[in-house]
Amino acid sequence: MPDFDSAINELRLLDDISGKDSFIHRIHPVAKLITTIIYILITMSFDKYSLSGLMAMFLYPIFVFSSSGLSMKNGLYKLRYVLPLICLVGIFNPFFDKESLFNIGMISVSGGTMSMLTMVAKGVLCLLSSYAFVATTAMDSCCAGLRRLGVPNLIVALFLMTYRYVFVLIDELSNMLIAYRLRAPEHKGIHISAWGSFLGQLLIRSMDRAEELYNSMELRGFEGDFRYAGCRRLERSDILYMLILIATFVMARYINIARVIGGLFV
Amino acid sequence: MHMSDALVSPAVAVGMYALSSACAGTSIKKLSVSADAPKLPTMAVSAALVFAGQMVNYTIPGTGSSGHICGGVLLAALLGPYAGFLSLAAILAIQCLFFADGGIMALGANMWNMGFYSCVAAYFLIWRPIIASAKGNPKNTRTRIIIASILSSVVSLQFGAFSVVLETSLSGITELPFGAFVMLMQPIHLAIGLLEGVITASVLVFVYESRKELIKDIPENDSKDQKRTFAQVIAILAILVLFTGGGLSLLASSNPDGLEWSLFGNAENGYASNMSLDEDNFGVTGELTQMAGVIQERTAFLPDYGFKQSESQAGTAISGIIGSGIVAIAAVLLWIICRRRIKK
Amino acid sequence: MIRVDSVTVKYDNENEAVSNISFSIMEKEAVGLIGANGAGKSTIMKAMLGLVPFAGSIHVENIEVVRDNIRKIRRKLGYVLQNSDNQMFMPTVIEDMMFGPLNYGHSHEEAEKIADQALIQMGIENLKYRHNHKLSGGEKRMAAIACVLAMRPRILLMDEPTSALDPYNRKIVIDRINEIDRTKIISSHDLDMIMDTCSRVILLSEGKIVADGNAQEILTDKALLEKNHLELPLRITRG
Repeated sequence: MPDFDSAINELRLLDDISGKDSFIHRIHPVAKLITTIIYILITMSFDKYSLSGLMAMFLYPIFVFSSSGLSMKNGLYKLRYVLPLICLVGIFNPFFDKESLFNIGMISVSGGTMSMLTMVAKGVLCLLSSYAFVATTAMDSCCAGLRRLGVPNLIVALFLMTYRYVFVLIDELSNMLIAYRLRAPEHKGIHISAWGSFLGQLLIRSMDRAEELYNSMELRGFEGDFRYAGCRRLERSDILYMLILIATFVMARYINIARVIGGLFV
Repeated sequence: MHMSDALVSPAVAVGMYALSSACAGTSIKKLSVSADAPKLPTMAVSAALVFAGQMVNYTIPGTGSSGHICGGVLLAALLGPYAGFLSLAAILAIQCLFFADGGIMALGANMWNMGFYSCVAAYFLIWRPIIASAKGNPKNTRTRIIIASILSSVVSLQFGAFSVVLETSLSGITELPFGAFVMLMQPIHLAIGLLEGVITASVLVFVYESRKELIKDIPENDSKDQKRTFAQVIAILAILVLFTGGGLSLLASSNPDGLEWSLFGNAENGYASNMSLDEDNFGVTGELTQMAGVIQERTAFLPDYGFKQSESQAGTAISGIIGSGIVAIAAVLLWIICRRRIKK
Repeated sequence: MIRVDSVTVKYDNENEAVSNISFSIMEKEAVGLIGANGAGKSTIMKAMLGLVPFAGSIHVENIEVVRDNIRKIRRKLGYVLQNSDNQMFMPTVIEDMMFGPLNYGHSHEEAEKIADQALIQMGIENLKYRHNHKLSGGEKRMAAIACVLAMRPRILLMDEPTSALDPYNRKIVIDRINEIDRTKIISSHDLDMIMDTCSRVILLSEGKIVADGNAQEILTDKALLEKNHLELPLRITRG
């Protein structure tokens, strides 16, 4: 099951990268999250034909990727999950919107073509910016940030514990898969005869584990209220980072930077 | 079925966030007053299990290809609707916030599409009525579990897929007419739902046979029933589903505008203009929506999805053929690219 | 310090995991609970912690283990689970260590100070900010013990503290256990480790106490150990 292995490697890789240290990694998670959300909102609000306007928005992910040492390839690799649906939706635009917008030499470019390209570009931008946030924010600091933003305690506790046990269960599952593959080398996936028992076994064991886990929490004084270690405050540099970037986004939204620059040469 | 940020407009994204947060808030409230609510570690470990389980490939017999599960119905059967929804929401949030799968703005929509229908709606409308109705006369629990899991999965995926269509169309992103989009999405998700249902059923039957107290609503005094084999039950169900599914799609394809009409009000005005009206109410800047509205009005609301100018039957055919051809080419290309990358 | 009086634990309606056991443990004593799989070692520990219902009575520092006292009892006892993954449920080591102190009403600063002390005691200051899922088996075990030490228990209960460790890490864990100056109850099949850490041994078989006394005497009694599905510690066999 190469899919499973590569999925696991991807999880571990992202978990590693997000724990690294860089100028971007050190920015407060709340500042980064708000910046990312506003970036996505502004990107999505671009006109559906405004491909040239969007071009300036590419600068933000490139800035984050380069200044935090992320690999663009890993980021773009994530596109394989989201691109199919975008393509499915966008591929029809050229057939329904045939009005010619402009001509490049002999070729007339229709509205549908432009809106399709714009949609794909938006998809790429949104993904890259999300990836830039995820890969520069360790999960525990992200959770602390979520709590500061008012996400209920129970939910954040659920995030923390789920994340922790995802890695434990992945280890168990990959051991089970090795055992399975050794006995069924020809199979690409789990055979139908084992559909129930494969996950079912792990499920029953996990429920026992959950029971023991609860005991262990109770023994350390847990009475229903989840308490955490603290989170550092927003500092002036965090706010500055956020404000400068947001101002830049807004500027790029109202001034078509690519067109302005192009205008200088024409 | 993770939606990307590119498919939802800010207004729709915020609206879906509101819906999902309301559902999460209600769930937390219900859990805090419920006496037999699952404990926090049980929810976390179940969520982690489903998270990891989503990555396992299941070989589909007779096809050589393989599929995955999403796990909503499984979570609801183990944890109940509220804890199930929260756990699935946690999975989606972790995938989105820590592993960059699925968009940050689309997270609300994803929680709703994948979590609400499979955990909350399917639980109350399908799972509990089927399983718990056996209370007085606890027979055939095993068969009931299989039927309930498959029905819940199929129905919730149909609703989920329909919601994706609805959200995308409301966002004014696609030129694809609503009816055609529905026809594209529903059959695919019928197959996905069936697979999900069968896997969920297998897992739950396994758990039922070794530790039945782990599953919600199983009557305590149930007797071991005569075993219908899995294949028998599935055969019965498949026939049922095909009949209802086929009937529904016939209905939808013969009268797609009816569907639109019922969703968007007066068909005379065209749903595109209604949509931009809605978005104005949401407070989105008018320029964009107006433009989208004008263009969609001119193009999107075409009978039988033909070209606007040539209202001939040939137009319909050509658009269909070219459309399917391009989808096929795109699919093949995508497949090749993904395969090559995985092999590397 | 601990008094166990004719305790019986049933794991279903008929079978008894532990039947009619009595013993008492003095302050600062280090006691090894040994016995084959299913002899009732873990069960008796869980009964002390109030995790399983039992008949008879258990007193910890003159407080009876009953529902109303459970909070007080659990503050006195620290339990190190056999599977460290089930013990460490937070993402990082420091958060895990602070979980207990925070629950007992310490402020963040105090909790962190207490955690730091426990880390130093176990000699694992370098693990403080590490993620739990990235620790090696040995590191995980040390961190799990440190977690329990951060609760400042009067009595330490350990379930197989050296299982699945390599010889090097096992040695470190044994040394650290010996440095902990508290009442300790350690359950294990690793009789060499018991010999290194405990002065007294209670041998259980099928839920009953077969022998209770000086560690040296019991652990060198070949006939007694083999009768109860155990073996002489390796160092004795080798002479």
